Amino acid sequence: MAAPLELSCWGGGWGLPSVHSDSLVVMAYAKFSGAPLKVNVIDNTWRGSRGDVPVLTTEDNTISQPAKILNFLRKQKYNADYELSAKQGADTLAYIALLEEKLLPAVLHTFWVESDNYFTVTKPWFASRMPFPLSLILPGRMSKGALNRILLTRGEPPLYHLREVEARIYRDAKECLNLLSNRLGTSQFFFGDMPSTLDAYVFGFLAPLYKVRFPKVQLQEHLKQLSNLCRFCDDILNSYFRLSLGGISPAGQETVDANLQKLTQLVNKESNLIEKMDDNLRQSPQLPPRKLPTLKLTPAEEESNSLQRLSP
Amino acid sequence: MCNLPIKVVCRANAEYMSPSGKVPFIHVGNQVVSELGPIVQFVKAKGHSLSDGLDEVQKAEMKAYMELVNNMLLTAELYLQWCDDATVGEITLARYGSPYPWPLNHILAYQKQWEVKRKMKAIGWGNKTLDQVLEDVDQCCQALSQRLGTQPYFFNKHLNIWKFTVHVLSKSGLENFEHYFTIMPTELDALVFGHLYTILTTQMTNDELSEKVKNYSNLLAFCRRIEQHYFGKGSSSIRLS
Repeated sequence: MAAPLELSCWGGGWGLPSVHSDSLVVMAYAKFSGAPLKVNVIDNTWRGSRGDVPVLTTEDNTISQPAKILNFLRKQKYNADYELSAKQGADTLAYIALLEEKLLPAVLHTFWVESDNYFTVTKPWFASRMPFPLSLILPGRMSKGALNRILLTRGEPPLYHLREVEARIYRDAKECLNLLSNRLGTSQFFFGDMPSTLDAYVFGFLAPLYKVRFPKVQLQEHLKQLSNLCRFCDDILNSYFRLSLGGISPAGQETVDANLQKLTQLVNKESNLIEKMDDNLRQSPQLPPRKLPTLKLTPAEEESNSLQRLSP
Repeated sequence: MCNLPIKVVCRANAEYMSPSGKVPFIHVGNQVVSELGPIVQFVKAKGHSLSDGLDEVQKAEMKAYMELVNNMLLTAELYLQWCDDATVGEITLARYGSPYPWPLNHILAYQKQWEVKRKMKAIGWGNKTLDQVLEDVDQCCQALSQRLGTQPYFFNKHLNIWKFTVHVLSKSGLENFEHYFTIMPTELDALVFGHLYTILTTQMTNDELSEKVKNYSNLLAFCRRIEQHYFGKGSSSIRLS
């Protein structure tokens, strides 16, 4: 009996289970490998830490970075890479490195550094999920961390100007997306028919870029032109996360259907009654309203009764 | 590997001469190009390329492995040189500051160390212990070793476009298709050789990094082969302890 595994991570939106790349990688891997994870979404109460999200808590310890969390899950026998050959395992490491070096700087830039995107989308979204004083400080700190990472890894010392780096990182990111598209080709996942760690990482990086609505969208436009990558994200969302556009889970979907049915019936009843009232109105002569005995009826019935000729 | 005539010059202020602050860089005519990626593209624009015979998927793989080497091996080398206190104290500070008079040697060395530490922190390696870094290096070497397998170079089937075109134009049947493939190294081989050779032949206070690499015999054989073939040394300078 496995100990309950709890994952704290940032919540979802725009049809995604989570908007944060690292959290999404871990969630996707857990789905692929069948690990039973209880997902705690960070909200604006003071519960839970916000430091090193995503965080996996088990009975004995807490583990914080995606690579370490995946390693831990593998050791607990939740292994999505069981079917891969040694060479494919090596390819996985290489492609993950490619994603982190070439695609991540541009994704960070689109979310956290590009001022239109940051102030209209990212900052309000994250701030609404943090309790009051933190919501003023933490998004700013995350933004600065992202900028630092971009400049220190791609910038040119000693001046570290952002503008020179911007063109380069977007060019690298577009090239990386093209390479991924070439590698995926027409197959469903990167290594055959079963999803693996690499699929989790690619999904985690691409899905927020694909789905979140931004004002400045040059990288998103480029991604949308690569239809096999878009199809890849949609497939995983539909098969493993089963989210409709409103973000409702399967159990919720059934109650919604039942409610929808009841509502439809009520509306039909109302429209029938309104038709009847209409007919009566046309047929009845103009009589002064007569005092009717008060009946304990529903408003619709009362209305229709008051228009009919009742014998007192 | 491209048979280009180069002259190697060592300068203490190489980092400052380079346009991007990183070494190595090449000085051709009145152009200066730095870092492996741009240098490869520059050379390609002049008509020499090692990876023309690869198809799209292979090119993607090659780029991915090059990033893996940069991500893991390069960062681990920097970590070991600048963030591991024993190595820093004994070897690195002295070596980095050696061309300069006092107090410049101390100042420049400490400045470089501060820069490297800042970068490590930004990419999340700031809290890693030496053991974790060595484990990452081991994983990287394992991946490279598995990719290399028993082949001489990482990518072996390069379509020799010239031979193929000639044959197609002469309208003879395509009998022996294997005939059109040649075995050649690529940029990835050069990059891997550069890093592994440096790790294997540089003396450090602890040899754990080179031990990790020596665990993989096909990587050792790979380095020796390139050293003897392209650098023409009779006996290898890679020691086996």
